[in-house]
Amino acid sequence: MRRIALLVVLAVAAADLLPLGLVLKQAFTPERESFAWPPTWLPRTLTLENVRTLREAVEIEGGLGLSALVAALTVAATLAIALPAAWVAARRPAVDRGLDRALVFARLFPTIALAIPLAALSIRVGLYNSPLGTGLWLAHTLLALPVAFLVLRGGFRSVPAELEEAARLDGASTAGAFWRVSLPLVRPSLAAASMLVFLVSWDEFGFSLLLQVTNRPLPPLVYYLTAFGHPGLASAVAALMLVPAVGVLLVLEPALRAGVFAGSGR
Amino acid sequence: MPRLRAWAPAAPLLLYLAAFLVQPSLYAVKLSFTDTLTGHFPSLANFRLVTGDGLFWRALAGNVLLPAAIVAVEVAGGLALAVLLAARLPGRRLLRAIVVVPFALPEVVFLTVMRYVFAPRGYANAALAAAGFAPVDWLVPGRVLTFFTVVAVDAWHVTPVVFLMLLAALASIPDEIAEAARLDGAGALRRFAFITLPLLRPALLSAVLLRGLDALRVFATPLMLTGAEGLPVLSTYAYHQWSDYGNDGAAAAASSLLALLSVVLTLPLLRRGTAP
Repeated sequence: MRRIALLVVLAVAAADLLPLGLVLKQAFTPERESFAWPPTWLPRTLTLENVRTLREAVEIEGGLGLSALVAALTVAATLAIALPAAWVAARRPAVDRGLDRALVFARLFPTIALAIPLAALSIRVGLYNSPLGTGLWLAHTLLALPVAFLVLRGGFRSVPAELEEAARLDGASTAGAFWRVSLPLVRPSLAAASMLVFLVSWDEFGFSLLLQVTNRPLPPLVYYLTAFGHPGLASAVAALMLVPAVGVLLVLEPALRAGVFAGSGR
Repeated sequence: MPRLRAWAPAAPLLLYLAAFLVQPSLYAVKLSFTDTLTGHFPSLANFRLVTGDGLFWRALAGNVLLPAAIVAVEVAGGLALAVLLAARLPGRRLLRAIVVVPFALPEVVFLTVMRYVFAPRGYANAALAAAGFAPVDWLVPGRVLTFFTVVAVDAWHVTPVVFLMLLAALASIPDEIAEAARLDGAGALRRFAFITLPLLRPALLSAVLLRGLDALRVFATPLMLTGAEGLPVLSTYAYHQWSDYGNDGAAAAASSLLALLSVVLTLPLLRRGTAP
């Protein structure tokens, strides 16, 4: 029984590592090797050919820059909006209930049902396909808010309200107590929220595909390269996308394993 | 007034939701009742066009069947993994970390690999060939097997999320209960059926609701694996109308129907609260 369980788990583990291995293999082998039959499981030739082609033919720097810019702006907008809301939710149960319910919709609403009207609206106001991704980070903020709210509210809940009251008794305003007492204490949550929000934007596909037709961030670029039959190039961009994803996950892995963010990541 | 002031720090959030959730939804409804050709409003032209399109009905059916199959496979798989990895296996800490690796891969990254895994000359067929089997057409448009391939790919990617939710719930069950049942002579299967499963009920229900609502808006998986017409769902149908025909009215009509479906199914979750 135990041996069967172990075999099953090992098979699952192998299946779970396979996609990662194949992306890296296809990224760093020549594209013609990716078309070989039978396909090679391990790289026969290692090369930076795909990376070179991406720089020369696809102008990958533009997509990379746009993805990073949009993600950074999403982090800034999301934190500015979510911080005060998460704080008041941690302090007042009535507000918390209301916000929690509103954010359920933000979290589960079909992307396409917002992406289509937002694309139509942004055509009208001139934000469609913006070179700076203005419409896109505004939209990504919607997907990021529930994640940031959950993480930050957890942080503020662990700061005793008495600390803020003590600061107010010593003459600080409510805002002052928030800035000088609570905010410094939730710095770890703030860091975790920033990283998760960055990834939400960095990985996002639907809004990116509909709002940016030619000024493409990385996810739609992977899609087009795949659809046009470029396994090597698509995998090289995919490997590039993995860098922050893996980095953040390594940093946050203990919290993830504890189930803190279970269900809030997608 | 003091009650209103209590809400003041949440004002930016509420304003944002009004501008980027409520407003576009209402605009989508308006678009769907606007005749794309004549600009006439209100008009049922888009709904007439859409309901006269066979692809739309396939998309609607796909949008019921695909999420149902995805939820069933992922919740069963996540539960099995959680139970297996809650047991004392050698190296289970490392195994638990490995099992969540697919979840760390961005959706498009995972899907681009899957395109090559299930391509006619891809890795899956190479594995079959090595074992002496004939190659399989995994992703031919409109085939039943295509449906199951798409379910398998989604499960491969997202089961770790369900696993994490259920593992946390499983860990919160005190060992003493199972221990007491064991002393009373209950076997492993009975302990699972009469202790673990009932105690996991709330977590299982949350997993079904959350995964179900998430699967309802499935988009990238069928689009990247089969294109807009291979295994249509409402999201890909709306995208197809938007990008291939430039018909924003029909696209808005199809996607608003999906939104309506999603909102109605979200209501039970609201009563339960969100914390999984």
